Amino acid sequence: MKKRIRLALVGLFTIALLVMGCGSNTAKQSVTNEKGEKQVLNLFSWADNFSPEVLAAFEKKYNCKINYDVFANNEELLAKIQAGGAQYDLIQPSDYMVSTMVKLNLLEKLDKTKIPNMKNIVKPLQAPSYDPTGDYSVIYTWGMTGIVYNKKYITETPTSWADLWNPEYKGRVILLNDSREVFGMALKKNGFSNNSTNKDQLDKAFADLKTLAPSILAYDTDTIKQKFIAEEAWIGTMWSGDASFTYKDNKNIGFVIPKEGTLIWADTFAIPKGAKNKELAEKFINFMYEPKISAQNYEYIGYNDPNEKAREFHSKEFLSDPMLKVAVNDVKQGEWLKDIGDGLTLYDRYWTELKTIK
Amino acid sequence: MRKGKLLVAPAISWLIFFFGVPMLIVIAVSFAARTPYGQVIFNFTFANYQRFLEPLYIRIFVDTVFTALVTTLITFCMGYPLAYSISKLPHKWQQPGLILVMIPFWINFLIRSYAWVVILRSQGLINTLLLKLGWITQPLPLLYNDYAVMLGMVYALLPFMVLPIYVSIEQLDHRLLEAASDLGAKPFTAFRKVTFPLTLPGVAAGSILVFISSLGMFVVPDVMGGAKSALIGNLIQNQFLSARDWPFGSSLSIVLAVLALVLIVLYYKAIQKQEGGTNNEEKLA
Repeated sequence: MKKRIRLALVGLFTIALLVMGCGSNTAKQSVTNEKGEKQVLNLFSWADNFSPEVLAAFEKKYNCKINYDVFANNEELLAKIQAGGAQYDLIQPSDYMVSTMVKLNLLEKLDKTKIPNMKNIVKPLQAPSYDPTGDYSVIYTWGMTGIVYNKKYITETPTSWADLWNPEYKGRVILLNDSREVFGMALKKNGFSNNSTNKDQLDKAFADLKTLAPSILAYDTDTIKQKFIAEEAWIGTMWSGDASFTYKDNKNIGFVIPKEGTLIWADTFAIPKGAKNKELAEKFINFMYEPKISAQNYEYIGYNDPNEKAREFHSKEFLSDPMLKVAVNDVKQGEWLKDIGDGLTLYDRYWTELKTIK
Repeated sequence: MRKGKLLVAPAISWLIFFFGVPMLIVIAVSFAARTPYGQVIFNFTFANYQRFLEPLYIRIFVDTVFTALVTTLITFCMGYPLAYSISKLPHKWQQPGLILVMIPFWINFLIRSYAWVVILRSQGLINTLLLKLGWITQPLPLLYNDYAVMLGMVYALLPFMVLPIYVSIEQLDHRLLEAASDLGAKPFTAFRKVTFPLTLPGVAAGSILVFISSLGMFVVPDVMGGAKSALIGNLIQNQFLSARDWPFGSSLSIVLAVLALVLIVLYYKAIQKQEGGTNNEEKLA
């Protein structure tokens, strides 16, 4: 009798392992290419980051297959690449992660002669501070963090980060679930750099966030759009691209860049060291900046198109999207996040402490 | 003798590769240091364990244990009656009853958590219904608080409590209950003095499964709690991802694993003691 209970327990533990071990996606093994077989481009990127039609067009044009794996944040990407990046040919690190990966010697230099369409990118974004020579990365999507709000509940247009602290919005505020975003915002509110590692400045930011904590509905990055579409949240911090997406489903949504300035970010194309198919990866990057393709792609994903030559192929609707326009007009207000190295420990400590506030 | 060794070899190597080696790596990393960019350097240090002793992390640990205890208690209060009533169903209905308990496992847990979001959010099923009925004028804040986290945990882990208890009730010797009734025990007394004590191993097994699983939970606090509360599972996840501190994350995992191990050892000790006790009774009889 006891034996059978134990047997059942063993079975249960197995189920428990299966169910609870809900790890994130693991990379598919790269398919070996024998001669005559289709080439494979192993792409490691964010979810929903391309128009499926554009991907299909590339597969057709170069008679290849794209393996598209996704990661949820830069740190996960870094962890996977450090654990052995050679299984991917093309990755999409964000701005500060590009400089980290360059420092860690994890990226291949791009052969610019193979990517002539790089010239089509608007000048200010060709050599941004995280990769000043533009040797390792090509900007793909970019945007800014701003205040998103629902005009139905919030009649006065927000102008400052301090507006999030308005007691009337208690229980309706959402912040991005990311320590650099949240502390960057609070630092900017106080007029500091969002790359600050100065203890006093961070103390000030933390003290402010502590008073905001009771107003917070949730910290969310992945499903923040749904929370605004369903009007669970009234006001919060959001990326311009997500705001544009949200606006399409809920026309009450407004988006502003606060006067204190904000964070500007970009996701890029880069090739990890030891990539098996560097050439195909470069062909892919070049393909993505062909004006027509680029227009089709950005219309689908709803982010700002950095491709100057693509403007004529974009719809009127896209060019006049209020959210995307805000970001274009306020681009000078943006400050790129830098990798703060050891400073991250300080952020993490405050971040953990912030989450323990009841 | 030699043949015997050959036969166990697959089992032993399976254990070494899939259990031993990963565990050793985690233990090794938990005593290592790291660079600002998150690379692990193998300089032996206790710093990660010392850091765990800081009040901030102890508080999170205590909170987590408390949450896990409450989860265990609630799943027990719900799981025991459920298991008991399934075991009292006509025989042909027992299997379907158990399958109904198991069915949710066939759907990814993350998806089930989001299903709760759809049910509980301010424009969700419950709030819409209550608003339509005119019972409330403002949507109730059902999500993104500690109660929602508790609901999610209980929901996720209830089957782990029900199944072991069901197994132990099912295997109860019915003659004992007949004997109790013959000796004048009312049904409730018989339950209290016979059924319940004899099904305690199932309760203990279920409790340990639920308790240990809820210690490591991080999906529920994120999805249903709005990522506002920090449980140790979230802390560990954070160390491995955004904080780039694998050594600290590993040491936290080891602390959890040790706690789980201690509980399991205690469970086996208790079971053995009980088995010894039953044997004695048999001897007396």
